[in-house]
Amino acid sequence: MNILEVKDLDMSYRTIDGEVEAVKKVSFTVKEGESFGIVGESGCGKTSVAMSLLQLQADNGKITNGEIIFNGKNIVGLNEAELREVRWSGISIVFQGAMNSWNPVVKIGEQIREAMREHYPDKTKDENTKKIIELFDIVGLESSIIDRFPHELSGGMKQRAVIALALSCDPKLIIADEPTTALDVVIQDQILKEIRKVQDVLGLSLIYISHDIAVIAEMTDNMAVMYAGSIVEMGKTSKVFSDPKHAYTRMLLESTPSIVGPKKKLRSLDGEPPSLINTDPYCLFSYRCPNPDDNCQNRKIEMKLTKIDTDHYVDKCCVNCG
Amino acid sequence: MYKYVFRRVYQLIIVFFLFLVSSYVLFDAIPGNAFQNLLLNPDLPPEAYEQVIKLYGLDKPLSERVILYIGNFFQGDFGYSYKHFPRTPIELIAERLPRTLMLFAMVNIIAFYTGFLIGKILAWRRGSKSETWITVTSVFSYTIFYPWWALMMLWFFGYKLNWLPIGKFLYPEKWYDAPYDSDVIFVSMIKFTLVVSVVQILVYIYTRNIESLSLRRNVRFISLSILAILSILYWNSGDLAIQKPYAMDIAYHMILPIFTVTVVAFAGTALLTRTTMMEVMKDDFILTARAKGLSQKRIRDRHAARNALLPVVTSFIFTIVTIIDGSVLTETIFSWPGMGQLILDAVLEEDIPVAMASFSFIGVFALIAHFIADISYAYLDPRIRIQSQG
Repeated sequence: MNILEVKDLDMSYRTIDGEVEAVKKVSFTVKEGESFGIVGESGCGKTSVAMSLLQLQADNGKITNGEIIFNGKNIVGLNEAELREVRWSGISIVFQGAMNSWNPVVKIGEQIREAMREHYPDKTKDENTKKIIELFDIVGLESSIIDRFPHELSGGMKQRAVIALALSCDPKLIIADEPTTALDVVIQDQILKEIRKVQDVLGLSLIYISHDIAVIAEMTDNMAVMYAGSIVEMGKTSKVFSDPKHAYTRMLLESTPSIVGPKKKLRSLDGEPPSLINTDPYCLFSYRCPNPDDNCQNRKIEMKLTKIDTDHYVDKCCVNCG
Repeated sequence: MYKYVFRRVYQLIIVFFLFLVSSYVLFDAIPGNAFQNLLLNPDLPPEAYEQVIKLYGLDKPLSERVILYIGNFFQGDFGYSYKHFPRTPIELIAERLPRTLMLFAMVNIIAFYTGFLIGKILAWRRGSKSETWITVTSVFSYTIFYPWWALMMLWFFGYKLNWLPIGKFLYPEKWYDAPYDSDVIFVSMIKFTLVVSVVQILVYIYTRNIESLSLRRNVRFISLSILAILSILYWNSGDLAIQKPYAMDIAYHMILPIFTVTVVAFAGTALLTRTTMMEVMKDDFILTARAKGLSQKRIRDRHAARNALLPVVTSFIFTIVTIIDGSVLTETIFSWPGMGQLILDAVLEEDIPVAMASFSFIGVFALIAHFIADISYAYLDPRIRIQSQG
């Protein structure tokens, strides 16, 4: 059963210089209980995809095309009140940078309770508090944190509390948008384990967004690699890692050190990500492609994911070159 | 926390002492004295003038007088007014203060609330046409030349339309056989306003913990309705039923000054709120609040506006002192005989005891206001609460 189906999603930001096409023809599906990873460099549109799913994009951002089918219902174009019902009780988000996800002047417990009050108006305060304590138990926090203010918590504690917050309204899908960015490595590992545990215990679907391909490997069943607003490769995580087809995926993998196997020099990718203002439909990676063929160099092939294997899709342009 | 409060009080006392000394020295530095016009009277011998000076102790050197004055001050003796001789400064202040307190407390509260409300709506509707126009209007009313504006308002509403009285705080003919002094009425008006505001705040605080939003709204609405009914009953009972028409007369005279000052005073708060709130709205927790599925109004009030409150309250505390000194300009233009006019006259006539007493009264009030501000910061921002404990 697919919990989430994204079809041909286009999203753009209106700026003074023109339309920035941050998300272009993105399609993917997330099955119930599965975790799906999105990886890519900064500015490739990962977070824009996440924000589009809940339609929380900035005021100048607009979904111009496509469907987001959540739980069998298209949520693109819903009005504010209908969206508010989907938010948090359907899809919740663990934001990047938990430091700033909390309102500094309201107690942690009250901020969680506030979301519960919105989605379960009939519950009493005691019931809500009881549930928060249960959630805190799952993510490894003491119950006394309910009455603390955000600044009294460490970064790791805040991030754990953010996970508890994300779980508070029994969502079916959680989007984790670089949840470990601002944390040190030890805490990062703990948080990742916590997310895995929560997912297993509660049987949730998860979309994990990160620029760290190693974390994606550890966390997800299926994954997509994004480049310049488009998905360039998608498939089972194990397959993408063992047999990367797109040149960009390969470069990403080679830029990460591995602790097993022979020593290899780390490669870095030359050039900069392209501007996304008024782009054409052709492959945007050809400028940076390490071994382009003629088609690639002349930019003749439109970007489109092609199936090359069961559960493995790659951009048409890069099937042959790279 | 107690340690912090104690330290602040100790600092305030020192500041107040310095304030007293420097005020006295500055008044003394004004050339001449209150009795110099006696010299102009050809019928009085110069000895009479010296006698008077000696009587009031003005012949003593400055240092001696300062010490004497401050010693008396802390014993509660403020001397006698030079110009209204048998009356003491305290009597004069007691007469003037309720008038100013009533008018400017109203002005400040109304200006703060409208300013804050408009500011937060402006920030929330950023980029819309109404936002642009209201902001431009606010800047205009913020920078307007106040005396001109007040005169224009008097001319328009008082003279041209003839809706509202021009100046004064009552119609003397109405009060000709009034059973009460105007001050008594003022005092009962202040008492009433104070009780109503305190009850309102209490209702707000006690209903804050009601979990269901609709229930909370209903409880608040019902209690405010009860409060309104009670206040109508209150003004129709016993003594107050007799006072009511006079209180209405004063209230009627208050409309124009309140409106005029509010139009100028709200804009500062509104613009400040708009700026700080736009800053807060960029913060990530606003995004979290939206993702949680909260209503726009709740995000605006609970998350954005609440965090924008601190600088706005700070600026409010600085303006709150005008509740006591009144704006001298406003009181002069509207012929409102309050503290502002008392101070102005006392300074012009070098009536040092009255001027000193009024100024020290304002000083005490300003210091207390700042002290309350410090404490309210701790309430508004829990991060300050922690630091102040150390």
